[in-house]
Amino acid sequence: MKVAATYSIKGGVGKTSTAVNLAFEAAREGARVLVWDLDPQGAATFLFRVRPKVRGGSRRMVGARGELASNIRGSNLSPVHVVPADFSLRHLDLHLKKRARPSRRLADLLAPVQDLYDIALLDCPPSISLASESVFGAAEALLVPVVPATLATRTLTQLVDFLDDQEDAPSVLPILSMVDRRRRLHKELAESLAADWPELLTTAIPAAAVIERMGLERAPVGISAPSSPATRAYRALWAEVSARLWA
Amino acid sequence: MQSSFTHPDRAASSVLRSLTAIGFQVELPVAATCVLLDTFDARLHRAGLRLEYRGGEVGELVLAGPAGTPTAYLAWAKELPRFGSDFPIGPFGQRVASLSEERALIPGLAFTTHTRVASQRDRRGKVVVSVLLHERPSVDDAEAELPSWVAEVVGVVGHDTERAEAFDRLARLGLVPTNGTVADVVARAMGSSLEGHTSVPTIALDAQQDALSAYRAVLLNLVSTVRVNLPGTLANTDPEFLHELRVAVRRTRSVLSQGRGVLPEDVRLHFATAFGQLGTLTGPARDLDVYVMGWDLMVAPLRLPDPRVLVRVRGEIERRRRAAHAILSVELGGEACRQTLEDWSGWLAGTEGVQPKPKPIGPWMARRIAKAHARVVAHGRAITPASPPEALHDLRKDAKKLRYLLECFGGLLPRKGRKAFVGQLKVLQDNLGEHQDAEVQLAELRMLAHDLHARASVDTDALLAMGRLSDLLDRRRREQRELFVERFASYDTNANAIMLTTMLDALEQR
Ligand SMILES: Nc1ncnc2c1ncn2[C@@H]1O[C@H](COP(=O)(O)OP(=O)(O)OP(=O)(O)O)[C@@H](O)[C@H]1O
Ligand SMILES: [Mg+2]
Repeated sequence: MKVAATYSIKGGVGKTSTAVNLAFEAAREGARVLVWDLDPQGAATFLFRVRPKVRGGSRRMVGARGELASNIRGSNLSPVHVVPADFSLRHLDLHLKKRARPSRRLADLLAPVQDLYDIALLDCPPSISLASESVFGAAEALLVPVVPATLATRTLTQLVDFLDDQEDAPSVLPILSMVDRRRRLHKELAESLAADWPELLTTAIPAAAVIERMGLERAPVGISAPSSPATRAYRALWAEVSARLWA
Repeated sequence: MQSSFTHPDRAASSVLRSLTAIGFQVELPVAATCVLLDTFDARLHRAGLRLEYRGGEVGELVLAGPAGTPTAYLAWAKELPRFGSDFPIGPFGQRVASLSEERALIPGLAFTTHTRVASQRDRRGKVVVSVLLHERPSVDDAEAELPSWVAEVVGVVGHDTERAEAFDRLARLGLVPTNGTVADVVARAMGSSLEGHTSVPTIALDAQQDALSAYRAVLLNLVSTVRVNLPGTLANTDPEFLHELRVAVRRTRSVLSQGRGVLPEDVRLHFATAFGQLGTLTGPARDLDVYVMGWDLMVAPLRLPDPRVLVRVRGEIERRRRAAHAILSVELGGEACRQTLEDWSGWLAGTEGVQPKPKPIGPWMARRIAKAHARVVAHGRAITPASPPEALHDLRKDAKKLRYLLECFGGLLPRKGRKAFVGQLKVLQDNLGEHQDAEVQLAELRMLAHDLHARASVDTDALLAMGRLSDLLDRRRREQRELFVERFASYDTNANAIMLTTMLDALEQR
């Protein structure tokens, strides 16, 4: 099982949209997918129509006898299973702190299900915390959406600097998110980002109404708008990501 | 697990009515074809997986594990995949290929249905349980009697209660619960097994049973292995068919050569010759199969700056391989071979040749195995660094004979002890085998280089690469030769001898 996380210190950049749509694309390409919603807001849980409920709360889940299996739920996409989030995850750091090696805890929880899934996608809340460090300890790649705005790459630099000091750090794969090619500023920012960040994935996710509407449809764009440019973008993005993971 | 229902008289509509009454939504029926794919020896099935092609509006491959584990789907618009390499890069193909390896995926059970999906959703609009109602399942075989419908209850992870409720609801209608999916139901109705065919030489034997009947049973099992692998060998479906056929032929020859005094001498000699010819016939094609399959691994250490350098050479080997298979198909598919197999099966199934005073197989076989082991030990000890390579080849044959006896008549020995002993023997055999392979490939390569050069159909780069390749093979051969001392010493131990004697003594006494 490969583990990847959608992660950014900044909020509202498209992490959840990326996680949900990549889950769909991965499943479409024959993968068995586990989406683990780590954000107390539970946006991914909501989009997959799963009941937001962590059994025994996050305390129990990351506790000594915690496990994922009893928290796994099916979704309307049969190869995609979800570990839902609920509000108890706001104390995740607190409970992780009690563990001997908090940064390994999420990896340890994933270990027993590693033969059941081909990829686990961890959808993270916007922050840098003990929980993020545990994500870094579990994931081999961080998919980091970056919006084309001035200063947007500042948090990316912060993240890379932070990971520089870590052993076994995941690779950082920045993704251009919410791009409007018609806007000159977007184009220019996209070009300078590509110049500064060679790791930047070549696929950019366009700003698209169908992605915004996901909250209403509660389905990936691959289902609600199968032939839209947004779906094509996520498909191409998955091709890039999977080529790196399964190379 | 019981997960489906059917009923001989009740109409499918009664199922639908009952489900809609508890809030299931029913979709329109869709015509679908289903084809199960697995290797000849059912590698996927034995790993708890099932690979199905489902054709409907869109074709897809479905890879399902045991209940409760997620199923994988892959859109599929091409012709059915045959080898792992036919899949796009990704987890789906990787999972199949890691099991199927060199074996072809063969379409097995195939049927069509008209399938409706009925599902129950929770208030979030998520499906929590579905029932697949497969109506009018049908197969090409007109004779087959299939149920007129099968209802399959499909649960969703984390919603066991809803699944159980739906199941109970259908059970209360008086429907007949049955195991597995619609494919299992169809397979059972057709009497077709999903177990596949594995070529196991070991059969149940009794030490008191008379030797001739034991030989007959062992040889009958071997000839049936030859026969089931024949069509796949003729069609060259995958290289394993020929391999299994050859191994069964070799085992047959070995058992025949150890059958003097049990089998009537004229019969024994006649079929020893016939199977000897069969063995010789199949040699070239198998050698070239091994060559081609091992090619990538073999040339990898050369780290060629441009892999195309050897494309010609590889192409030539491929060409020879195809030619060898074409010849093989003609000869193996011929009347003589058919007759041999038929005569032999016929003789084995008969009762001819019974002696007035039959001897029990136990003590007889104990002596043969002891002798075969003694031969391996004596010949192995006689090998010195100065011995010619032929000495190792001969030892390899001795070791094989012993191995075949232990396998074919393994039914007489305790399983655990036999496995342990064979494990030790195998380590020695691997060493001897690799030594021999390197030598065969070396000889083949030199001949090839010579031929290609004579026809002026290779360039200097390729010749140089072949030179390096032959150095590599030569080094491998010498490495195995040096390893031999250690490998033989670890076989030729007191502990091993005692392990074998203990097992054989038990046979003598019984
Ligand atoms: N490419 C896009 N085009 C248009 N709208 C988008 C796009 N990507 C995301 N959005 C919208 O932006 C909002 C934030 O997106 P999303 O929830 O994916 O971001 P996030 O990084 O997960 O946010 P958070 O930090 O709150 O978890 C959502 O309303 C979403 O519909
Ligand atoms: Mg989010």
